[in-house]
This record gives sequence, structure tokens and C-alpha cells, in this order.
Amino acid sequence: MKSLFKLFERAKPLFEDGGRFRPFKPVFDALENFFFGPATTTTAAPHIRDPLDVKRFMSMVIVALIPVLLASFYFFGLRLITMLVVSYAVGGAVEVLFAVIRKEEINEGFLVTGMLFPLILPPTLPLWMVAIGVAFGVFVGKELFGGTGRNIFNPALVGRCFLAIAYPVAMSSNWVTPGSGFTGRLFEYISASDVDALTSATPLVLAKQGTLTELSRLFFGNISGSVGETSSLAVILGGVFLLLTRTANWRTVVSTLGSFALLAAILRVNDPERFAPVLWHLCAGSILFGAFYMTTDPVTSPVTNSGKWLYGMIIGFATVLIRNFTGYVEGVMFAILLGNIFAPVLDEIIFKLRLRRLALEE
Amino acid sequence: MGFLRLVVKRWLVSDVQICIILFLMPTMKLQGGYNINIQGRPGPTIKKMPEPEILYLRQKSRRFHFTKLRVEDGRSISCGQPLAVDPENYNVPLLAPRTGTVRLNQLDGHIVLEDIQPLEKETAVFKQPEHISIHPGHLSLKHKLLFDLGAWQFFSDAFTGSLPDPMGNPQAVIISTLSLEPFLARGDIQLDEKLLNFTRGLEQLQSLLEYQPMYLIMPKIDTELATKVHEHIRGYAWVEMIEIPLRYPFDNFTILARYLGLKPGKGPVWSLRAEGIIAVDSALTMHKPCIQKIISIGGPAVLKPAHFEVCAGYPLDDLLKGLIADEPVRILDGGVMTGEIIGDNDYGLDTECNGLTVLREHRQREFLAFLRPGFDRRSYSSCFLSTFRKAFPERLNTALRGELRPCISCNYCEEVCPAGIMPHLIHKYLYADLLDEAEDARIDLCIECGLCSFVCPSKIDLKREFVEAKRVIQEEKEEILKEQRQQEELQRTIKGEQAKDIIE
Repeated sequence: MKSLFKLFERAKPLFEDGGRFRPFKPVFDALENFFFGPATTTTAAPHIRDPLDVKRFMSMVIVALIPVLLASFYFFGLRLITMLVVSYAVGGAVEVLFAVIRKEEINEGFLVTGMLFPLILPPTLPLWMVAIGVAFGVFVGKELFGGTGRNIFNPALVGRCFLAIAYPVAMSSNWVTPGSGFTGRLFEYISASDVDALTSATPLVLAKQGTLTELSRLFFGNISGSVGETSSLAVILGGVFLLLTRTANWRTVVSTLGSFALLAAILRVNDPERFAPVLWHLCAGSILFGAFYMTTDPVTSPVTNSGKWLYGMIIGFATVLIRNFTGYVEGVMFAILLGNIFAPVLDEIIFKLRLRRLALEE
Repeated sequence: MGFLRLVVKRWLVSDVQICIILFLMPTMKLQGGYNINIQGRPGPTIKKMPEPEILYLRQKSRRFHFTKLRVEDGRSISCGQPLAVDPENYNVPLLAPRTGTVRLNQLDGHIVLEDIQPLEKETAVFKQPEHISIHPGHLSLKHKLLFDLGAWQFFSDAFTGSLPDPMGNPQAVIISTLSLEPFLARGDIQLDEKLLNFTRGLEQLQSLLEYQPMYLIMPKIDTELATKVHEHIRGYAWVEMIEIPLRYPFDNFTILARYLGLKPGKGPVWSLRAEGIIAVDSALTMHKPCIQKIISIGGPAVLKPAHFEVCAGYPLDDLLKGLIADEPVRILDGGVMTGEIIGDNDYGLDTECNGLTVLREHRQREFLAFLRPGFDRRSYSSCFLSTFRKAFPERLNTALRGELRPCISCNYCEEVCPAGIMPHLIHKYLYADLLDEAEDARIDLCIECGLCSFVCPSKIDLKREFVEAKRVIQEEKEEILKEQRQQEELQRTIKGEQAKDIIE
């Protein structure tokens, strides 16, 4: 620890003005401040600060993803590790490249994006597609807007959206049958060439064809689907952690799931033959994963609390509509991106209303 | 809730009254606020400091700048006489806290008082200072006494925070017994010994008013002192007691005035803390200059935090000797949220100081700081294990505890803001240089409590941005006003010339 600190101290002049590696100062700073709390102090009142910083904030999301990761390893095997490595390496490279070009700090946002991205992909997706997807997501979804904090769309979803349109077959047909038993697929590496382990249908596809998967399987997650979305139990565990730490706002989650359940219930009541029950819909697909980890991204959701309620409603309703009335079997990704588009507008409306009320105050 | 209890109490009196109260009840709800629990809370004992040998009276304090000297170098001055006045603030005087010899050119920005005579209580009590003379038609005797004996500087206007016009008539008076910022001299400690002076001061203050309401802000807890105060002023129909939750910064006068439904357009709102009322009593009942004061010295770097009885100008080195841990520290004039750093060129206690806070300077860099479970760090968010702990005083230092990042729209600043504005929105406007929009977003309602800067995970110094923007807006407004006046002047001269032409 001490020797590491000394190493940083010794290397520092190389990255300062006039040093040999001056352009890579953002990388050095990011590493230094990763290992050691920053040395900066306050200069004026308030003289003390809350311990929470963006690093901590973002690492809470990663902690919340632990149950999801464990479930994914159990059901779909070790290939997730290579996907994570590729996602972090490529996403991190784009982030570093832009930090160096823009001469700004490296933001912690990519730590979350890099982990979320593989979790929303099919488990056998070729690694080069993972790389292209994450690069596109980080580049178009985030850096072009100016980096973390200024982006409109969730970068991970932008990447997935790109892949879904560019490689529709790879993104929708090669699913893995989940592992079972004591060890599951914990010691297996399933890729697209292991034909035995592959299946072509997720529960939502099967539902369109008329067979409903059991609810308990959906809840525990031994179904095929995107890497992180299958186990409702794991997602709820991590999601509750996010809500308890107040990293995610409960309003967005309640509103999204509430409106989703409401519309699904209305459809079910009207035509029980055609539409699946509400709980089934809640546990199938990625609505829970999206509601807990994607809609709650503070940057791309509205700031205002009233805005969050409306935002959740847009996403919830849109998901049900896309799932049940379009050619797509799953609608969470498009619904959230749609919500992202609306978020600034919703905020603007709420701001206007609140400012009008403030103006009345003397 | 404070109102609810008030209402319930009134219910017992009569239900006609309650109908009236319900109608007149201010609708403003206290929102936001957050208690920062920091180590080094000053204890309830008041230590009397030994008589000083030399006094360094700073000419500049938070609101005042005593530039107009009333004494000459080398002259002796007796206790309670003015050393200098502030021409910008109705000539409010800086009183000599002791009898001594004046040295003007020894230290920059200070008036030094040497050959100090110890304070003799008996003589100081009844001797009326000579400089008090009454001009009929100006101030009444009472106003004059308040002003000349140094009690007026405890008054401030709730909306502007500046010194109110001594000749003016307030629309209301707010008296707060609370100091919620860590750490300022606590009202309850000052009241404990001087409760009689306090109630007498209230009566004196009331005699200055015609019909204006007086609000006494009390903590929303049942302490022995609170009951005693309640009992003492039960008969005073003209004092309305208001209880507020003990959360920073609910003792802020601007917030209280808004909460009470007072409007800035309707004249000043005199606001005072407990020490102000005691000063009023001292000036009006005993005709004694207000020179002794009680300050707190607290903070994580103070070995034995306590209250001290001192006078303005007391040498800081003597005051803090043996009190502070032997490491790099930052000494603040005031509390941790709004205090100002005492620099190397400040030698004595300034006249407005009501507390010194000492913080350790941040030196140690923690290994993997952001990954620590955080059982020992308390946060506004719930991202640390300390969430499972009861409130505990934290050993905070001057660390920024994170790196500067763009706003991530977490909304914490809005939740914590006691003024009901949206700091994140104003920040975004200011970032884009949209001053007019920031003004529309009511940046003027900001009370500069510093809570938004405190909670911001991106470590954006919102408070400083807002203070700066408010200053620029103010300057622009003055500029426009000046231009308008010039235009009018021009028009007038043109008209005058035209008239001249016509006559010719």
C-alpha cells in the first residue's frame, strides 16, 4: 500500500506539464484516485463535505448487480467472464480515448455501463459483436453528448439497440438452455458452437406461440433469455439494495412496474384467452431488470420527482404495448429509450410549473 | 408540526381564537434541511477568560467595515466609547471593550488597544457613557441607547441579512433561541444564566414597537429550559411562541420569515438571537455597553470544546492556546457551513463573531477510500454501513472527499434545500451562462446555507456559484438603474435647454 503510494508519487512528474506522458494524465489521475482518496480540500464554506462521491454512487450499482451476476454464472456458465472483459476493455478504451482527447477526467460511468452491457445480451453472442456494441454505445450514446452526466440515452441500451438492428438474428435466436442441479453451468463455457445447449426460444417467444412457461421457473430464472434478466429473484434482491441505498429512486421503479402491471391487468381482464397474467408478464423478459437498473439511471431519467412518475408510466405502458401488439416479443429496451427521449421534456414541463409557483412567492 | 402543537395549545384557550389562527396560519412548510453531526460540540460550561493584556480589534467583520475612526493614535479611551464607526451602516459604532491606549498603525486592519485596565463591574454598570446625547426629533432615547451602547449590531433584517435602519419601523420581530449550525454559541446556554435578563429584554424590545408581532422561535423539544422560558413569558400576550424542529438551517431568519408569511416588501423584519435580547436588556435596563460576549469554540480539532466569555478584540492566540490539537488546522470564524477562514493576518476576535470552529486539514489519503464499508462515515445518502448506526458525531476534516464531476442529476440538492428552489437546475443555467433563466429559477431565494454543496456527490460547489451569480445579477441591476438615471438626467437637461431655447 505504502509502496504503491510511493510508486504513484514517483511517476507523477512524468504526467505533469512537460512530462513525457502528459497526454495520459487523465489515465494517471483516474488510477491514482482509484487507489487513494483524492487529496483535494475545500476552499470555502461549507468547509466539510458528505462522504458520498460519484465513485461510491456508481459502485453501489455494481454491488447491486452481484446477485444477478451469480445467477447468470449459475444458469449460463463462464462465458460471461469473457464478455465482461471485452465489454470493460473496449468500453474503457473508448472512454480513455475521449478523456485524453478532450483533456478531461475519466468518468466512473463506464464502470456501470461496462457491467450492465453484457448482462442485457444473449449469452452466446460473438465477442466481436459485444465489442462493437459497447463501443457504439459508449461512443454514440455517451461521448458524443459530452460524457457522463450529459448523455440523453442510456449508453448500454444504445449499444444493444444498435446490435438488435444490425444483427437481428444473432440477437434473437441463439439462446442457452439454463443450467440446473447443484452446480448448474458454473464450470461450463457455452458458446454458439455448442448446439446441444442452444435453444431458439425464450418464454416470451413461446408465449406468442401459445405456451406459457411456469411462473416459478420465471421467478427463479431457469429459463433462456439475456444473460442477466432471467432470474427475477436475483434482480429483485439487487434492486431492493439499490432502493435502500437510495442510489435508485423508488418513484421511477414503482411507477414503471405499477403502470406496467396496470395495463397488463386491463388487457388480461378484457381478453384472458389472448393475454398472459400480470405476474407472469412481470417476471418474464427484462421488465424487472430494466425497471431496477436501467430506468433508475439518474442521468437519463428526469430530475424532478413528478417527472419520474410520468417517465415510469411512459416506460411501463410502452413496454406492454410493444410486447403485446407489435412484432417484437420484448419491448423494454425500446420503451426505456423512448422514456429517455421524453425525460428532458417532462423535466422542462415540471420546471415550468414549479417556477410559476415559485414566482408567486415574494 | 410545530404549528399543530401551537394550535392544540390554543384550542384549550378558546375555539374562536383557533378559527382565527387557522385562517391566519402561514401556509409555508419547512422543507429540506439536514443535521450534520460533527465531533467537537461545545459543552454547556461557560469559561471566563482572564482579562486581556492587549486587544486587536478588527475593523472588518462579516457585515461591517469600521473605516471612520473616532479616536487618535496614542490617546486613551475608556470602556464603552466608540473607536470607529461604519459609515456604510448608519455609523454603527465599534466600542472599546476596555479602557486603554489606542494604537492605530501597529497592525493593518486592526485597532490595537494597549495598557488595558481590567473591567470593573461596579463602575461600568451605572456610569452613563458621555457620548450619549439626545437630539429631539431624531431617535428616541431608547433607540439612541440601543445604538450607542452596541446593542444595535445584534439586529439584522431577516430578508437581507444586513443591519436594519435604526430609525425604521419593522413589520415584525423574530427572536430565535436556537443556533443549529455546528458550531455557534448556543442560545440555551446563554439563557440558562440570564433568563431574567432575557425576559426583561423582551419587554424592553416590545416597548420600542407599536403593534408589530414578535415571534419567539423555540426548539421543538421539552427541556427544562424550554419549560422555564414558557413559564416566564406565559403572560406576554404580545410574544408568539413558535416551535421548530431542530434541523439545520431552520433557525435561518430568512426561512423563518417566509415560514411566518412575512413579505419583504412590507418593511424590515428585525431578527435577533438570544444574545441580542440580552444586549437589549443590558443597554436599556442597565444602560451598560454591550462589550462582553459568549462565544463557542468547537470542532473536531478542539481538545475541550466549550463556551467562553470574552470581549471583541481578544487575541486569538491567547484564546486558542492549549485548546487545539498540534497539527495543521483550519480556524473558522463561525460554523462549518457558513464560517469564514481566519487568515494569518487576523489577530483578534471580530465584533460579530459568535463561535470559532477548528477543523483538521486533510492530509491522509485513504487506500481504496470509495470501497470502504463506511461504518464510521455518516452520509446524507444511505450508501454507507453507518446507515445501520444511530446518529454519531463524525470526525470530519477539510477533505473534499471526491473528485469534481459533471452533475449526475441525483436530486439530493433539491431534497435538502430549505429554500424550496432547484439548485441543480440553477447550476445548469449558470453552467450555460443563462443568468436571466437563473433569476427566473429564483436564485434570489437561496439563503446560502451550503447544504447543496455539502451533499453533492459530484462535489460541485453550488453555493459558491450561486453567491457569485447573485453578485453579478445585483451588479447588473445597479448598472441598469444607473443608466436609467443618466438617461433621465439627460432628458431633463435636454428639456431644460429646449425650454431655454423657447424662452430665448
